[in-house]
Amino acid sequence: MSGYWSDILVGSKSLVTGLMITARQFFRPVVTENYPYEVPEMTERFRGHIELIANEETGKPNCIACMACQRACPSDCISVAGKKMEGEKKKTVTKYVLDFTKCSLCGSCVESCKFNALRFSKEYNLVSFNKDDFIIDLVKRLEDQN
Amino acid sequence: MQPLVFSPTPNPTLFSVEGIVGIIFLLTVALVIFGALVAVNSHRLVRAVSGLAICFTGLAGVYYFLLSPFLAMMQLLIYVGAVSILIAFGIMMSTPEQQDLPGNKHISKLAGPLGCSVGALFFAGFSVLGLNTQWQVFPRPENASGDIEAVGKVLLTTHSMVFELISIVLLLAIIGALVLARRGRN
Amino acid sequence: METSIWRPILYLVGIMAFAGLNAAYLGWCERKGAGRIQRRPGPKEVGFAGLLQPLADGIKLMTKQLMVPQGVDGIIFRVAPVIAMIPAITSMVVIPFSGNIQARAMELSVLLIFALASLGMMAVLLGGWASGNKYAIISSARAVSQNLAYEIPMLLTVISIVMISGSMNLRDIAIDQQGGFWHWNIFRFENGHFLYMWIGFIIFFICSLAETNRAPFDMAEAESELVAGYMTEYGSMGFGLFMMGEYLNIVVGACLTATLFLGGWDCPFGLTPGVWWFLLKIYVLIFTVIWVRWTYPRTQIYRLLNLSWKILIPFSLVNVLVTAALIKVF
Repeated sequence: MSGYWSDILVGSKSLVTGLMITARQFFRPVVTENYPYEVPEMTERFRGHIELIANEETGKPNCIACMACQRACPSDCISVAGKKMEGEKKKTVTKYVLDFTKCSLCGSCVESCKFNALRFSKEYNLVSFNKDDFIIDLVKRLEDQN
Repeated sequence: MQPLVFSPTPNPTLFSVEGIVGIIFLLTVALVIFGALVAVNSHRLVRAVSGLAICFTGLAGVYYFLLSPFLAMMQLLIYVGAVSILIAFGIMMSTPEQQDLPGNKHISKLAGPLGCSVGALFFAGFSVLGLNTQWQVFPRPENASGDIEAVGKVLLTTHSMVFELISIVLLLAIIGALVLARRGRN
Repeated sequence: METSIWRPILYLVGIMAFAGLNAAYLGWCERKGAGRIQRRPGPKEVGFAGLLQPLADGIKLMTKQLMVPQGVDGIIFRVAPVIAMIPAITSMVVIPFSGNIQARAMELSVLLIFALASLGMMAVLLGGWASGNKYAIISSARAVSQNLAYEIPMLLTVISIVMISGSMNLRDIAIDQQGGFWHWNIFRFENGHFLYMWIGFIIFFICSLAETNRAPFDMAEAESELVAGYMTEYGSMGFGLFMMGEYLNIVVGACLTATLFLGGWDCPFGLTPGVWWFLLKIYVLIFTVIWVRWTYPRTQIYRLLNLSWKILIPFSLVNVLVTAALIKVF
């Protein structure tokens, strides 16, 4: 019988506590983001697909087409081509195509880059019905961004 | 407030209060007959129980028209709300699938005509009785509105015997249920 | 009483409008409330603050095909959702919204509401059975055993109210409590009823949650174990009618609680009694129902029955005895 009364008392107390918690939450501001209207800022270490880094002065890619990333890629996503422009010491990248359908975001390409030319983008709005949309020309993307 | 009192006007039109009340009365009677027919004729037991519930609902309406709303409510609460539901419950728990009952072929072919003729006999008897009786029009009874004070007085004076007997029936039912439940546990 | 033909017609239209609006917008309130409790905004796309959401849902439900799956009992399957709606709307006939807004002040209005509530139970039972689906049958069996178990303490607490007021007429019960909150049955000062009536109020509120199959007692549609319970096979407006019936039952339960315990249309301080106080009370109660739903997890069926038989029924029996004793003593 003693268990009976204490059950009722303890039970009622815990029920009231629960109600108080939800009541407090009810009057607090909303914490979710209204996605299409509020675009969230991705965190520092977010891994989107890779992108080329532009030289801050010229706006041209830092990449010199050394092929280190292409060799480092375990799934052959990256194909790079470059040629030597006249009057310049280093090569310039002419083609940098990423096949994002095969990429597993392992980051080996970013690690292998010695010229500060490659990083993860903050792109997360990727959706398509067509597989070909995920084969991305990064040089063209950089030009579009400038 | 009091329930509607029918002051019989000779020829009520359809859209007067009397007319609508008359239509509703006919509907309740139709409900009783329809429910009874469904209850008797359907092959599936749950449909039969639904028919029974419809019939009880109609009966509650008839009780209301007979100026005893308390009985009408009790009819709904007990017969529709408890009895029908318990029957349906029992059927649901006992038959694993919805199955059509096999036709009872071993029942004599006389059963149908016999039942019909007995029914017809009863109907004829009651009709003759009803048509030949001089019906007295009683004044509206005291507790026609279902005032609980009047109901309580009647239960504890005129019908106190019935009241006590019902409590004995309920006691027996409780003891019976306990006996059955106890036996099941060991 | 004036027996004009217009009175019933106007009340019919009014009650239908009240029922329809509530059935539509309680869904919105529920979703908004759930959203706020979970710190999200709830529906907000359709119309201002999602206010047209019920309309969009209604159009969607009505334009969907009414599927009658193979192996169901066609007639009962189609009729059950309608039966679920009828008692909820009919109960509103006897609810006193204010001193002069009531379709019909029947002498036995409390009894009528309970009688109709048992009809609603029949709808759940038949709908579940007719689906021919194991989940649905288990769910309707649960719903019925739950409703039968909770009807007893509910009726017992109502009996104590009826003893205090000496009437089963909701209007008389409400008039009996006029003149400030110390006259309301829950805090009733005279005869010392205030000492225990709040227990009766809590019992009644818990029972009304269980009777309307609301969380934490929504055994009947426990979606994690029984798909959607007795509504599993229903789509389109069949499902819609069951949902609306459920919300209307909540409204009727709130109206009943407000009239029986909270003085109906009475103002707490004895000023300006009227329909607005009644509406305020029922919507506070309905909000509490929503609040409770989004606070507690679902209980288990045997715990639910234990709660009824071991706690609520003894308490309500003692409640009736104490009420009778206090009425006789003082």
